[in-house]
Amino acid sequence: MLIIFIVIQFIQPVRNKSGQVLSTDFGKVYAVPGNVQAVLQNACYDCHSNNTMYPWYANIQPMAWVMARHIKNGKDKLNFSDFGSYTGRRQISKLKGIANQVKDDEMPISSYKLMHKNANLTTEEKSLIMDWMNKTADSLSTEN
Amino acid sequence: MKNIIIGFAIAATTLAACNNSNNDTANAKQTDIKNDTALATQQQVTKDTAGTQSTTATSEATFPVKEIITGYLQLKNALAKDNGQDAASAGNAIVATLAKVDMKGLSDVQMKSYMNIADDLKEHAEHIGANAGKIEHQREHFIMLSKDMADFVKTFGNGGQTLYKDFCPMANDGKGATWISEVKEIKNPYLGSKMPDCGSVKETIK
Repeated sequence: MLIIFIVIQFIQPVRNKSGQVLSTDFGKVYAVPGNVQAVLQNACYDCHSNNTMYPWYANIQPMAWVMARHIKNGKDKLNFSDFGSYTGRRQISKLKGIANQVKDDEMPISSYKLMHKNANLTTEEKSLIMDWMNKTADSLSTEN
Repeated sequence: MKNIIIGFAIAATTLAACNNSNNDTANAKQTDIKNDTALATQQQVTKDTAGTQSTTATSEATFPVKEIITGYLQLKNALAKDNGQDAASAGNAIVATLAKVDMKGLSDVQMKSYMNIADDLKEHAEHIGANAGKIEHQREHFIMLSKDMADFVKTFGNGGQTLYKDFCPMANDGKGATWISEVKEIKNPYLGSKMPDCGSVKETIK
């Protein structure tokens, strides 16, 4: 058991850290207020962007694998770094989807909240996110 | 050491959780990625041509207008009956239909419009398919899926069947939502048995 544990420490997945902010990033596509962006950064960007803030235990296997997988799944569904590359229709859907996921307490997922206190959103933070997402989605819908 | 053991325990439970959700969506995701990259390049051009274009279907033989509409109507009727299980099957059926669409017969305008709509349509149908036990979540996706369908019908016609565009002001947390129906009588898919006849016909699509 101990030997397996030591051996797997050497198999590290590639890190999700591009170190750059693309022109398609959420914060560049929309005029996102600072407080909204701060919540997204703290509670969402680790799994839903190209830049993860890795905690210390990300160096220990099998945690790194679990994380790599969460991040891959998260980015497949929604990637704030690529938001500008979604079609207009899809952007509206995603904005509403974010509001709904937060409203229904589906996101952030509980295993993530367990390790990240910042991701445990307060009622105020939740309504801040929901209101802004819905408002932005509605203004885009009427534009089209 | 204690921390490491705790880390292991968490890893084990999250891994198990991941496995469950992963199996249903693994296949769908494969195609999703492919479509995503294809669409990324189209993005500027395709930005909502659907709303303004109104062309009737010309290539019915190869393009399954009717099948897509039928899948949607099955989903709508399942939600109206509060049946999340049937709604999920209908959602999966829509995904399957979209997967085998052959766009060869479409004009450029239709193709752009279709790709824009289908991309979003597929995602909502997938979510509905994966959430049989959460009918309220299915209904949230159905709001946006219905909007896609309205645009789809606008571009590709009604598949030879009279359709009605209905609106219920109480759905969507009081913000209102529309849906497409094959019957004139109101059967509300958002409120189900709680309020089956909330809403009215806003448009008849002949």
